[in-house]
Amino acid sequence: MSFGILPSRGGSSVSIRSPRKSQLPGADVCHRRRIPAAGRRPVWPKGLRASCAACGPRAAVEEGGAVGEWRRTGSMYELLGIPMSGSLDEIKRAYKQLARKYHPDVSPPNLAQEYTRRFIEVQEAYETLSDPSRRAIYDRHLVRGIHFAFSARKKFDEEVEERSGWKRCWQDQLEGLKRRSMNKNPDDDDDNDDLSWGARMRRRREESSSSVPS
Amino acid sequence: MAEPIYTVSEATADDKNHPLLPEIAIGIDIGTSKCSVAVWNGSKVELLRNTRNQKSMRSYVMFKDEMPWGGVSEVLRHDDREIFSSGAIFNMKRLIGRMDTDPVVHSCKTLPFLVQTLDIGVRPFIAALVNDVWRSTTPEEVLAIFLVELKAMVELQLKRLVRNAVLTVPVSFSRFQQTRMERACAMAGLRLFRLMPEPTAVALLYAQQQQQQIHENMGSGVEKIALIFNMGAGYCDVAVSATAGGVSQIKALSGAPIGGEDILQNVLQHLLPDFESFCSNHSLENIKSMASLRIAAQDAIHKLSSQPVVQINVDLGEEKKISRSVTVAEFEEANRELFERCGKLITQCLLDAKLAAEDLNDVIIVGGCSNIMKIRNLVLGLCKKEDSYKGIGPLEAAVSGAALEGAIASGVIDPSGSLDLLTIQATPLSLGIRSDGEGFATIIPRNTVVPAKKEVLFATAHDNQTEALIAVYEGEGKKAEENQLLGYFKVTGIPPAAKGSAEISVCVDIDASNVLRVYAGAFLLGTKRAVSPFMEVRMPTLDDGHGWCGQALLKMYGSTMDLATIPKKIHQ
Repeated sequence: MSFGILPSRGGSSVSIRSPRKSQLPGADVCHRRRIPAAGRRPVWPKGLRASCAACGPRAAVEEGGAVGEWRRTGSMYELLGIPMSGSLDEIKRAYKQLARKYHPDVSPPNLAQEYTRRFIEVQEAYETLSDPSRRAIYDRHLVRGIHFAFSARKKFDEEVEERSGWKRCWQDQLEGLKRRSMNKNPDDDDDNDDLSWGARMRRRREESSSSVPS
Repeated sequence: MAEPIYTVSEATADDKNHPLLPEIAIGIDIGTSKCSVAVWNGSKVELLRNTRNQKSMRSYVMFKDEMPWGGVSEVLRHDDREIFSSGAIFNMKRLIGRMDTDPVVHSCKTLPFLVQTLDIGVRPFIAALVNDVWRSTTPEEVLAIFLVELKAMVELQLKRLVRNAVLTVPVSFSRFQQTRMERACAMAGLRLFRLMPEPTAVALLYAQQQQQQIHENMGSGVEKIALIFNMGAGYCDVAVSATAGGVSQIKALSGAPIGGEDILQNVLQHLLPDFESFCSNHSLENIKSMASLRIAAQDAIHKLSSQPVVQINVDLGEEKKISRSVTVAEFEEANRELFERCGKLITQCLLDAKLAAEDLNDVIIVGGCSNIMKIRNLVLGLCKKEDSYKGIGPLEAAVSGAALEGAIASGVIDPSGSLDLLTIQATPLSLGIRSDGEGFATIIPRNTVVPAKKEVLFATAHDNQTEALIAVYEGEGKKAEENQLLGYFKVTGIPPAAKGSAEISVCVDIDASNVLRVYAGAFLLGTKRAVSPFMEVRMPTLDDGHGWCGQALLKMYGSTMDLATIPKKIHQ
């Protein structure tokens, strides 16, 4: 169900070394200091906490709604402009705020298409993060630096099983591993999974038109 | 540039309310039995009245005279007896866009005008009695005649031309039925800004009221969950919405074509067990007795909402007479199944919204059936509430919501912020394609937020299959044929391979204006490269005769051009 929350082939979706990604848990820690109540997030690997001080201000900027960049940079939390410790209420509020911005009904006519795409992404982030079990899975992935580049393209069964518990969790982990191994040895047929739907369609068209002599 | 070019000469003198506003789309709620119109007047929603000062007008068109005319103007008032005399067509909303195999169409055969079916999945034949001759018409045409009158009435009152409208439709309306409504509007010269599921229009009105309360007492803006139950003469709809900060998100929708008309038929059946065969004989004498019976039953149902027992006396002619009393208990027993179905819609809707009755802040009960005690108690009981939400008129809710949406969609900005609202809609019905023989593979499940886009991969069902038929359906049935066919097209040039190995991608896209497009294409073996350019098809493509068509498709191509869903375990 995802439409390229994750970025193009340039930014490897898996690299744990990427500074951007290590920021996230850090941001969480920062936030937790301010609001001690929100503490039910998974425990982060120790190494990641170190980056906390460095990321503080930037995280704040993202909380403030620097949404323009999220598609390139990352997580669903960034997309919604909330910290990883964000409560369900915060998620809902952020979602509604972004909906008011990106919903095609309220977007400027010339941006309708672009905003529709963004709205679908915001919607997906909201649906994932507002469901405790899906959020837990997502968080686990995020910690490991695996992004949820679920392809919009799915087998029928996956769609059906979308919301079912532990089995899903296993599959996600497997998928993540697979994805990682794939990215180590990039195979040019599969690395476009991370592209947005539109980009993939365009590529497919290009490929098909170049492969079919006209 | 001495004068603004947009001066409208018609809007002068007494028109102080809306001189320079953009053309505001009106809200129309065409019910199965009643209809109303409302418009944003610059500061609030105002219901418009006809020349007889009615806010709620009967939905029917009288064909008795050479010029058909409807219930809007009612210069000469038609009474029930005249409307039930076969010269008038009503209940259009139960007939529009339905096939002659549909049980709802079959239940319409007991109506005084003529409904003929061939039971093969084509449009039913309907006709009104004009000078003792059955003159044929179509539900779209009847609706269009009605809308023309409605439009004229509104134009007279607003003293301006009316072109744009927001219409409410039942939740259970398929996309095919929606296109029929669009066609009727086009025939009447109205541009449809939007078709809104009825309970979502009510949700919008509720969101506005919540927003106003917050403005007044500086409230916290906490999310409020409301269940909306809307039951009219033809349809029963349920919605759950989550409202905060002027944004109302539709969490779930459910609906079915059950309503006051079915209650009436159940009572008729109770009074006269062989009423169906009795009504199917449209002889002139019979029509009269049918009218008497219908009027008596209607009257009895109204009375039973305030008194425990009612006496019915009807003379059916040919020495047939009904003279008996009906109690509330009998009435409820006759409609037991119907009430159960209403209950199921509520439980289903809560389940889909992943909410429990305890999560609900408000229960809103609207529609013509909202005054039936049994229904109120049923809804309140299932929602575990003492009382329903006050502050929304049960008969004006949907039309007011539509008018609000009309104003918002027309770009009206209210300085007080009362139009600063957004509804996030959801798909009421699942969308998918036929696969695995007669199966139905869902691609976008119901209650998915709109706009939405989903892609699913399918495989070939036969060895060396080079063509596949993409038949798009809408509905909740497990088999394709139980659902509504929206359209079909072929994907060709699939690379020959063992069955199950060639992959075909099918993507369903609902855009911001609720337009449905289906993209499909085949991939080269083992790659994600398209064999040839993808197909893009706007749905529905069908014009008529979809039942007929679906069966023909299955018979001709079902076995050779089938698709299979890809079981995950096998893949990779």
